[in-house]
Amino acid sequence: MKNLRFILLLLKLRLSHMMVFRLSFFGAFFADGTLFLMQLLSFSVIYGQVDAIGGWSRGQMLVFVGTFSMINAINMTVYFFGLINIPELIRGGGLDLYITKPVNPLFRLTFENADPGSVPLLCLSGAIIAYGLSVEGAPLTAPLIAGYVAFVLIMTLLYYDMELILRTIPFFVISAAAIDRLEGDLLTLNFKIPGIIYKGGFKILFYFIMPYGIMATVPTQFVTKTLTPAGLVHAVCAAALFTVFALWFWRFGLKHYKSAM
Amino acid sequence: MSLIHTKDLTKTFRIFEKEPGLTGSVKSLFNRKFIDKTAVANFDLCVEQGEFIGLIGPNGSGKTTLVKMLTGIIAPSSGEISVLGFYPNKLETLFKKQYAVVMGQKSQLFFELTPMDTFRLFKELYGIPEKTYKRNVDDFVELFGVSELLNVQVRTLSLGERMKLELIAALLHNPGLLFLDEPTIGLDAATQRNMRGFLREVNSRKSTTIILTSHYMEDVRTLCPRCVVINGGKKIYDGGTDSLFDMYQSRKKITITFGRETDFIPPEGAETLERSPYRAVFILPKDQAGKIAAQITRDYDIADISIEEEEIGKTVEKIYAAKGLNNETEAGA
Repeated sequence: MKNLRFILLLLKLRLSHMMVFRLSFFGAFFADGTLFLMQLLSFSVIYGQVDAIGGWSRGQMLVFVGTFSMINAINMTVYFFGLINIPELIRGGGLDLYITKPVNPLFRLTFENADPGSVPLLCLSGAIIAYGLSVEGAPLTAPLIAGYVAFVLIMTLLYYDMELILRTIPFFVISAAAIDRLEGDLLTLNFKIPGIIYKGGFKILFYFIMPYGIMATVPTQFVTKTLTPAGLVHAVCAAALFTVFALWFWRFGLKHYKSAM
Repeated sequence: MSLIHTKDLTKTFRIFEKEPGLTGSVKSLFNRKFIDKTAVANFDLCVEQGEFIGLIGPNGSGKTTLVKMLTGIIAPSSGEISVLGFYPNKLETLFKKQYAVVMGQKSQLFFELTPMDTFRLFKELYGIPEKTYKRNVDDFVELFGVSELLNVQVRTLSLGERMKLELIAALLHNPGLLFLDEPTIGLDAATQRNMRGFLREVNSRKSTTIILTSHYMEDVRTLCPRCVVINGGKKIYDGGTDSLFDMYQSRKKITITFGRETDFIPPEGAETLERSPYRAVFILPKDQAGKIAAQITRDYDIADISIEEEEIGKTVEKIYAAKGLNNETEAGA
């Protein structure tokens, strides 16, 4: 309850802050919407002319793209703009002000820069998913929808873990700019290609080491009833293990924080 | 039990060492060399409830590293440390609720919002009951005289006004221990004086233990009965501030304006800073100042005379020099 009150206060402050700059406030909706439309355009150029990719139908692909977009939109709305500040806070010593306050610094960083500008993306992503499911023509049941929502949230957590791990690395190195770029490139790739296409080394890389390959693939497989029990277990275990590792790595990083000595 | 207790506290940083030039950069790509730099070495410190302590030392002396260990921001490499009965780097919430830190060069206020917005966040962060929060805001706003600034965007405030509000934010939860890192940096002389008055008031009214780090020796001299001098990561003095200055502030400056033209020559042994037929400024040993001043007053037509303590910066240079230190001069600003 206390945490919820704190999150609501952070959200209020964030909105107040954004509303100070009217152009920036309204511009955020425009910028995020444009980004989304560009992603859709890129998808339609690549997949518009084919009926099936790697065994997936057009409907499944639409659900996949909508799912990735949904996970990304939750990320952008809730925590992306908070986490992205971490490397600079580590480098410049700004983390001091978070560490010395009686609230978990990671908790505050996660929720203090929510971006309401990305909320429309959630609706648009939902619309694409609904359209994909209608194209797919699969019958939907309440447990199937609940399971899908649960998987989207679990994969959002996995996405959070990956972002946190990469942004914790600056505790130990002088610059991690190359890692930021790598993350951006991997996300762009995995936004366009469903995980089922990966084989061999790529599968190991994108399913186990940097599991971007399963993030949108697994919920899509679940809702279209193509997820195997092994795939389900793998997804849940990956999210659990990466969460445990990410939190441990963050705490380990805090112990090694040098505070811009 | 002491509020702060450290024994043999040491912090060593591992620093990347690179040879100059492109060759050095290429070498460092494949064969990286590191050196260990000890920022704080075997530091013992005991602080009791209600004390107001000044921590002084030149740049790079280790005082900020010490404060960061005391607040839990960084972990010590070795030694014992206890602050309010806690090991600071465990970062326990209960510990963090009992102290506050104000860093002169890092603002806690939301720049684009009003001070009241930051105060609200702090109320939530520290779980301050509504009644206590209101009472403290009212008390401190009155003490600092900032009632008209509460609903103004922080970015429009002056540095002095911002610092007052930083202090209020830090004090809202009634911390028993307050760390102040350069709180008067960049402030003009009048605002510095005001700030000192507020800090003295906070220390006496709330019995708040204060650890003050400042390059402005006037801050330490006027506020802190006890001071700790640190250099090269080592404690080189821990005792009364007055005693320290008595030891090293051994001279006084006399400024005389004569009522008519004179051929006055400063006494033997004095260091002359300025001399003209109508004015003389010189420094001489403290124990001779009174006698010499009285004699000059008898012998000359004096329009004005003042006897001042030797400039504080010079004194600090002497303190560091006497301890065989390499003062970087900024300590005596």
